[in-house]
Amino acid sequence: MTEYFDPKTQGGATSKSRRNFLKTVGASGVAAASTPLWAQATQARAAETPEGDPAKASAPAPGMSRIQLNVNGVERTVDVAPQMVLLDVVRNELGLTGTKKGCDQGQCGACTVLVNGQAINSCLSLAISRQTDEITTIEGLERGGELHPVQQAFWEHDAFQCGYCTSGQIMSAVAVLNDDRIGQSDAAVREAMSGNICRCGAYKNILAAVQDARKAMKGGG
Amino acid sequence: MSETLNTQKPRIDGALKLSGGADYTADINLDGQLYGYPVGSAIASGELEGLELEEALGMPGVVDIFHHDNFDRTLKHSPNSFAEKNTVSEPRLPFEDTTIHYHGQYIALVVADTFEHARAAAQKVKGKYRANDQVISQFDELDADNVAGLPGVLQEGDGQSRGEADTAFDAAEVTLDHHYSIATETHAAMELHASTATWSGDHLTVYESTQGVVFQRHALSHVFSMPPEQINVISHFIGSGFGGKLFMWPHAIMTAVASRRLKRPVKTVVPRQSVFTSAGSRPRSIQRVRLGARADGTLTSIRHDGSNETAFVGMHNDTVISATPSMYACENVSVTNRVGEVNHGMPCPMRAPGEAPGLFALETAMDELAWQLEMDPVELRKKNFAERDPASDLPWSSNHLIECWDNAAKRFGWENRTAEIGAMREGDEIIGYGMASQSWEAMRLQCSARVTFLSDGRLQVSCGTQDIGTGTYTIVAQTASELSGVPIEDIDVRLGDSSLPSGPLSGGSFATATVLPAVKAALDAATQALIDKVTQDGQAFSDVDSGSIELSDRALTYGDRSIPVTTLLEELGIGQVTAEASAEPGDEQSEYSFRSFGAVFVEVRWDPGISRLKVERIVSTIDIGRAINPMTARNQVEGGLVMGLGMALFEQTEYDKSGYLYNANLADYIVPVHADIPPIDVELLDYPDYHLNAFGARGVGEIGLTGIAAAISNAVYHATGKRIRDLPISIERLLMAN
Amino acid sequence: MQSFELIRPESVKDAIGAQSERSAFIGGGTTLVDLMKLGVMQPDHVVDTNRLGLDEIEALDDGRLKIGARVSNSRLAIDARVERDYPVLSQALLSGASTGLRNMATTAGNVMQRTRCPYFRDPAKPCNKREPGTGCSAMDGINRNHAVLGTSEHCIATHPSDMCVAMAAIGATVVVEGRKGTREIPFEDFHLLPGDHPEREHDLRSDELITHVVLDAPLEGAVSTYLKLRDRASYEFALASCAAIVTLEGTKVTAARIALGGVATKPWRAVDAEAALVGEEATAKMFEQVALLAFQRAMPLEHNAFKVELGQQAIARALRDAVQQASQGEHQ
Repeated sequence: MTEYFDPKTQGGATSKSRRNFLKTVGASGVAAASTPLWAQATQARAAETPEGDPAKASAPAPGMSRIQLNVNGVERTVDVAPQMVLLDVVRNELGLTGTKKGCDQGQCGACTVLVNGQAINSCLSLAISRQTDEITTIEGLERGGELHPVQQAFWEHDAFQCGYCTSGQIMSAVAVLNDDRIGQSDAAVREAMSGNICRCGAYKNILAAVQDARKAMKGGG
Repeated sequence: MSETLNTQKPRIDGALKLSGGADYTADINLDGQLYGYPVGSAIASGELEGLELEEALGMPGVVDIFHHDNFDRTLKHSPNSFAEKNTVSEPRLPFEDTTIHYHGQYIALVVADTFEHARAAAQKVKGKYRANDQVISQFDELDADNVAGLPGVLQEGDGQSRGEADTAFDAAEVTLDHHYSIATETHAAMELHASTATWSGDHLTVYESTQGVVFQRHALSHVFSMPPEQINVISHFIGSGFGGKLFMWPHAIMTAVASRRLKRPVKTVVPRQSVFTSAGSRPRSIQRVRLGARADGTLTSIRHDGSNETAFVGMHNDTVISATPSMYACENVSVTNRVGEVNHGMPCPMRAPGEAPGLFALETAMDELAWQLEMDPVELRKKNFAERDPASDLPWSSNHLIECWDNAAKRFGWENRTAEIGAMREGDEIIGYGMASQSWEAMRLQCSARVTFLSDGRLQVSCGTQDIGTGTYTIVAQTASELSGVPIEDIDVRLGDSSLPSGPLSGGSFATATVLPAVKAALDAATQALIDKVTQDGQAFSDVDSGSIELSDRALTYGDRSIPVTTLLEELGIGQVTAEASAEPGDEQSEYSFRSFGAVFVEVRWDPGISRLKVERIVSTIDIGRAINPMTARNQVEGGLVMGLGMALFEQTEYDKSGYLYNANLADYIVPVHADIPPIDVELLDYPDYHLNAFGARGVGEIGLTGIAAAISNAVYHATGKRIRDLPISIERLLMAN
Repeated sequence: MQSFELIRPESVKDAIGAQSERSAFIGGGTTLVDLMKLGVMQPDHVVDTNRLGLDEIEALDDGRLKIGARVSNSRLAIDARVERDYPVLSQALLSGASTGLRNMATTAGNVMQRTRCPYFRDPAKPCNKREPGTGCSAMDGINRNHAVLGTSEHCIATHPSDMCVAMAAIGATVVVEGRKGTREIPFEDFHLLPGDHPEREHDLRSDELITHVVLDAPLEGAVSTYLKLRDRASYEFALASCAAIVTLEGTKVTAARIALGGVATKPWRAVDAEAALVGEEATAKMFEQVALLAFQRAMPLEHNAFKVELGQQAIARALRDAVQQASQGEHQ
């Protein structure tokens, strides 16, 4: 029984790449900030636990279908029932718990993921219908061990408090910044991001982070 | 002070939260885990005569269904004592009897092998009810035949009255007497309440989304008649709570019982509808404010009578009058509060409880008085500034309210205001300016912490408090780094675990002022333990007076001699040196009055042609002592202002005549979205309050939400000439007001 | 959500063949999955339309625009032809829901969107639309969000769509395909008033599938506006909305289309107001006058009486804003 939040018993294997990525972050614009070691281990788990790949030998349980989902660039095999929504599948079957459930009804945006680059509410999307799509969750944004510019900007601008809506905010922000049709004004960003409720009310900093990330993404590609 | 404190530091848990790696309660999955899904009552008042369970029990994956007939009869009530840290939100045990007191009251918990199976089966569980003819659904309809003319029963002893408010009111040159009300509000934290329970022998571990791991541990120990040492409550990350997660709710007890019976971990994530019906609200309150003043604006009488709804299942006094006696210099003040029972779910504290609704009424009344007197509302407040706390007659520990008024007015451009109603226009819109004072009591409680010097150079700091998003992880790290010289990235902060040294609730804006002194005490104790070792015979500083040795830059130093802590530990051949210590407030509590103050100014735009009201910009200057981390502190104030915007314009938890909670979801319960947010300018004054603690910090979570609703309603009046005394200021209220 | 069988046909014919009394089509899922989770809809079979194509937007020779059933709300809103010829539709779409939901929601799904009445959405409450004959909880309950136009004693639920309000103003045809072949239903006839049968929401037979919506050719030289009034600034259904399209000759109105949302049981054409406006001077006073006509037969209840005035304001302002575009030379 775990008594303390001990990475050795809670976190599973620690990832070297994640550590590097965190070091990179620590060495950049937010030099002084760091993540405690215990936290790094927890973080590593989310992306790397090979859950959700059922043993190929056994047939799917009755009522279940074995499907392939392309999540964060990786083909994952998973058994799903028709009524399972993408949100519950990535969280419960694939172990990608960064995507959050805030309402389960399309009313808050915490579950936002990208499907073929477009932001969608994963709580209202049947997983079984997503077999030919490219799905990106918050865990899939980092590149080469570095935070995505939007993640980085959220950190620098303190664009979150409790962090629960944050994955959804970031996914929506990435989609907004990649969509030339959405205006660049503050008002346009606010409107485009209005499907992501932040009850902590960190909107001012979210807006600043999105506009700052726009510059970074233009600069760095 | 230093490099680390009072400095903008990105959060130490930032990368974790931003990349999906932070484990909130619902993210934690245990081997062999089952899923609980609650079933709520369809009626608001009556008897549960039975349950249709057969179909649900036969559905795929269903393991068991818990309800009144098969529930654990050995459970006991928690004494519900704040002092003993065992307060629960709803004193009634789940399924304790068959009386239905409110819509959504849990009548069953379905447990199944998957979330989908549990939910499907829960939808098939139907209650058989005998509904009462009489449902008490509307607080306003309760008997109000009393002196105050307000519903509810008078609560003794929560007023701090002084002088002769009645006589002074009658004799006053100028008077006003108005009723104000706020709707029931719901915290609506983005994270759903969740609880995962697992038993190992006679040891219970609960993963809970809670603002108080220690409180929940103690409450569980009473409910299950177990020593607290056999219970651990864990909450590493919380998707905020705003008061709704301060004290344990029945879902946690149901889940722990199910886990014990089924001998497997059980996880219950409370569905959003049940969070609305069964996990707290800010109660509806009705207030009456009577002010008496001289023609020059000097207040001669303040009478503030409040009343709030509570549930039949428990008592919650929202003390809406709590700030009033301290706000202004006035010799005659009378405050009372009443509480009345309705068939609603249990209310509980919600961010800035008391002050948020109370200052809406008082600060709107002050604006009305200013209009009556034809005075500038800022000048009226200045005229009545309290040089010391008129309620306790103690000096303020630190009070810079005048500077708040002046600075915020200047930043806002208050001097550009045309006083006349509706005189400022742009296109279709009429512009209104409004302002209000802000205030929140500054508290500090007892707290313990542990500090450990590790042989690899890191410093571990542990405390049984938690970080609900306010930034506690980060300010603890900043503090430990500042005091020890250990770089912040080598500070390992552990919170959110009830087996750690006892820490406070994350609420009431007292966590910072409470926790940091304990961190310092523990660090001092651990440093002393190091010094004791290094001054022993044969050690590096055996010739030195131990009182002259200091910890700085990760080393013990004496004059120009220095030994790094890591070297010391290595030479001693020990892996760590650890110490636990406590800190608590002292005599200063009876020598000073501690309050934070602020001023908020708002511009609204009113388009009468389409009845559209929007907040155009907000300026607030706040005096919270010293901000340990101005970046996270400012974020807190801004968040409070946003929630206050919602309180003023949108938020109302609606119960129909049958007691049915009509808008138990995030589409119909309207909270502000990004497009509603105007430019917000928050200035934090920096006057450390060293009377409260050595760090000068008073806490910052609530104050942003005080005063803002009044400032908005005052601006609405300035634009429209419509005085809306009932929140929210909805479209229909604006349309129907004269 | 109860379990169901998912059928994934590859052709419209197969999709129709798979349809039954106990089945439902799924497009984006934003209505159906939501209502299945709530237990309001419990189909045994769900027929997935996502392999049927039907995702083209096609300009017809007669000037009309043919929109595939599966074209998403997002894509339709930014289609160049829609932006040019039907800006009122683009504005209406972009005022609805959120970016994420618009990316999922389809054209046919939006036409088939069901009411947001909380009593309808809770199977524990009486509701004539969900369970005929059980009564209407909203009538004597909270009815702030409910309709004042087109109501009956059995149902006062609003139709929640913004898109449909714009389509009602533009004029459109719903093309459906069933076992007996293709039918074309005028848009104004597609949605039904609740009357004695609020459970019947549209003129679609159980074997029929919407394949397209065809917009009428745009009015020559028309100006238009979609105005949506609600509590918060975004991500909320309308309390009152108006799609206004007018053509002018000088300062006189030569044609007018006015449709309302948020106030009626179906996407609502304010025909009386339209008729009164044609031939009149385009003045603010005239707009206010015709706005009154639109609500002559309104039946307000305890909490929604304000919608009469709010709806009138929506009409007057939408007309004014549209006409202002004309005076500024922005013919759209």
